[in-house]
Amino acid sequence: MPDDLNWAIGGEAGDGIDSTGKIFAQALSRAGRHVFTSKDFASRIRGGYTAYKVRTSVDRVESVVDRLDVLIALTERTIDENMDELHEGSVIIYDGERTTMQNVEIPDEMIGLEVPLQRLAEEAGGAIMANVVALGAACEVTNFPIENLDESLEKRFGDKGEAIVENNKEAARKGQQFVQEEYEQDDFGYDMETTDEDYVLLNGDQAIGMGALAAGCRFYSGYPITPATDVMEYLTGRIDQYGGKVVQAEDELAAINMALGAARAGARAMTATSGPGIDLMTETFGLVAQSETPLVICDVMRSGPSTGMPTKQEQGDLNMTLYGGHGEIPRFVVAPTTVSECFWKTVEAFNYAEKYQTPVFLVSDLAMAVTEQTFPPEEFDMDEVEIERGKVVDEDELDSWTNEKGQFQPHFPAADGISPRAFPGTVDGAHMTTGLEHDALGRRTEDTEIRQEQVEKRQQKVETAREEEDWDYREYGNPDADTLVISWGSNEGAMREGLAFLEEEDIDVRFISVPYIFPRPDLSEEIEEAEQTIVVECNATGQFADVIEHDVLERVDRVNKYNGVRFKADELAEEIKEKISEAEVTA
Amino acid sequence: MSSDVRFTDFKSDKQPTWCPGCGDFGTMNGMMKALAETGNSPDDTFVVAGIGCSGKIGTYMHSYALHGVHGRALPVGIGVKMANPNLEVMVAGGDGDGYSIGAGHFIHAVRRNVDMTYVVMDNRIYGLTKGQASPTSREDFETSTTPEGPQQPPVNPKALALAAGGTFIAQSFSSNSQRHAELVQEAIEHDGFGFVNVYSPCVTFNDVDTYDYFRDTIVDLDEEDHDPTDRDAAKEKILEADKEYQGVLYRDDNSVPFEQREGIEESMADIPDGAPEDAMDLVREFY
Repeated sequence: MPDDLNWAIGGEAGDGIDSTGKIFAQALSRAGRHVFTSKDFASRIRGGYTAYKVRTSVDRVESVVDRLDVLIALTERTIDENMDELHEGSVIIYDGERTTMQNVEIPDEMIGLEVPLQRLAEEAGGAIMANVVALGAACEVTNFPIENLDESLEKRFGDKGEAIVENNKEAARKGQQFVQEEYEQDDFGYDMETTDEDYVLLNGDQAIGMGALAAGCRFYSGYPITPATDVMEYLTGRIDQYGGKVVQAEDELAAINMALGAARAGARAMTATSGPGIDLMTETFGLVAQSETPLVICDVMRSGPSTGMPTKQEQGDLNMTLYGGHGEIPRFVVAPTTVSECFWKTVEAFNYAEKYQTPVFLVSDLAMAVTEQTFPPEEFDMDEVEIERGKVVDEDELDSWTNEKGQFQPHFPAADGISPRAFPGTVDGAHMTTGLEHDALGRRTEDTEIRQEQVEKRQQKVETAREEEDWDYREYGNPDADTLVISWGSNEGAMREGLAFLEEEDIDVRFISVPYIFPRPDLSEEIEEAEQTIVVECNATGQFADVIEHDVLERVDRVNKYNGVRFKADELAEEIKEKISEAEVTA
Repeated sequence: MSSDVRFTDFKSDKQPTWCPGCGDFGTMNGMMKALAETGNSPDDTFVVAGIGCSGKIGTYMHSYALHGVHGRALPVGIGVKMANPNLEVMVAGGDGDGYSIGAGHFIHAVRRNVDMTYVVMDNRIYGLTKGQASPTSREDFETSTTPEGPQQPPVNPKALALAAGGTFIAQSFSSNSQRHAELVQEAIEHDGFGFVNVYSPCVTFNDVDTYDYFRDTIVDLDEEDHDPTDRDAAKEKILEADKEYQGVLYRDDNSVPFEQREGIEESMADIPDGAPEDAMDLVREFY
């Protein structure tokens, strides 16, 4: 009996796949079970295969695996698409009365559950509830107490009225009863234990939005783009409660420049986009850095280049965020490695931006953006949030930053590289700032000495930050193992679970997950200690591996995935195993 | 706001590097006069500019200022104003900055109607890159990049603004300094996006659209009994391609600025030291 369950609903976009999956995931979460969801979707509004997958366990789950135990198939293609993951004993729930599903063939070793979803839904009050009938059937198959579904249905349909909620509960029970009565096999081998834990269920984009609100972000401007739009949708309305505003700009160029303007006016400001939008914003990176404006720029990566595969996973923009823009731009690049870290790293990003007055790139990816995961609410303990605004000066402190003529010097070359900030409206603080090279007053100059001084001043901020902050990593596995695996971004979950698969085969691995790309932890000692270093990332060229090699001047091995799908724990473990044996052969 | 502000308070001690005789001197002086006249002080004023000769304005004026990248001054100004509606925001641009590279932002800034002032120094040429055609250059205007002329009609920025739902559209001539300053002042006082296109001659590279040309051809709308609140009348005047007008072409007295519609009243600069008190509610939403 598997200790975790992998469940999915699949069909065509427009079939209500997402909301049905979400209802089930929420029901599980409210029943005190951990949940990890993933989505297969295409870049179209209606039609095309789409699926919502839920992995659930009483223990924490942090990745997807290549296994599907229960599948609600609304179309025949859903079965084909998932054949690789279905196994002996997998249950496939489908509506055999539906014209397109009448000739479905279920492989012998699997269990096909024909449930008249539409007919039962009509009996309960409307064909539209067919998916909920399927959920009821799934509850019966998995031994999940159906009462847990009720609250979830209330949450989903509550604003449509009591009658609709009741009809849906009824629809779910019809599905449950049908399986109970019509199928002799009353135990499919699943035991869906519930607990008293109260979890929250959210995705990476929502966690970024929540982090922004906690950190005091008041202004967000963006342009809709998959998979970053959820950040904007989350903030819309919610930010207003704190006196802030979301503006949908006419394009990404406007979005980043509006955010820059708001930041100059003293607001904590952010924009979020994905690869193509980052390209458009690149022009302004330099202006942000040169004008020493604090700004958080979030890139939720998807498959590139160009428009690539908008609904698929990739970690291909690392070089872009590290090096994008002409000239040399002091910047920070922070890449959360889990959904809950999306929250905490956003808070950090705002603090770095204001303390050091630089652009801070917050780099996430599609795998985290669309993954909903359960957490104990304490994981987002708001009392832990600290806000550091850096060197903001008021009219009393201005004096110490003025020149002999009494003029405020916003770009004063302080030893730590960090100049004072006076928000507009501060009396006697009026000053100029510009993307042109400038003097301490912010006025344009081509003086070679001042140029050099200002370049050094801006770069010094990075050096100061290297000293002052903890550019740490997280570590798992055996710290003394010969094999060192390093990853960044969303691969952490898959790799952590992959460690368990490797352990079963007596393969010993030390795993380091790095959330800071620039500045980043110095890994030379760790790499030196290891016999083999493998860098795991979702791109073809190994952009982070390049950076690590550059740091330590030593060749590292790479595990790369670039078909548009995130790493799965078991698959990743297999790849690591292969890399280790390759190294053994050559050694 | 202080009442004893003089227009010279808006002047920095930096000497402009514009060519002697450049129209931008008059344009800038009018802006400073208008700001002082409307009771603003340098400390509550934010001037944004893009690139080109017009972009230098923030350096020569004294106020909070940002000199940004080419064509993107308007979005910066919108961000400033929305984050702190107590500030007086003025954006300065040129015809290349505003009607070519920044044309998209122009249309959307107009329709967004944030309460700010946009002054465009229109000299119908690219000056700082030494004499190429601009979007407002005449169809047959020969330049280094258009030896036969651009062979396309010039952009009509006032028509674009009217079509995009502009609530204040005016035209001035930098050399008519008093009139120009009045028009900028009216734009500042307007509740919404005040747009002033200023004929600001380039004495070095444009020998067609000269001071003499504008002096001879410009007609003041006050002499024509033009009713600026009449949109149809404004349309007619704006579409007269061969006429150069000065004055308010269109004004919507019922305009409500975007930030007001969005309910923004306070500066967004003040935030608590930690997460908001009720922030755990944000988490509980996900139960």
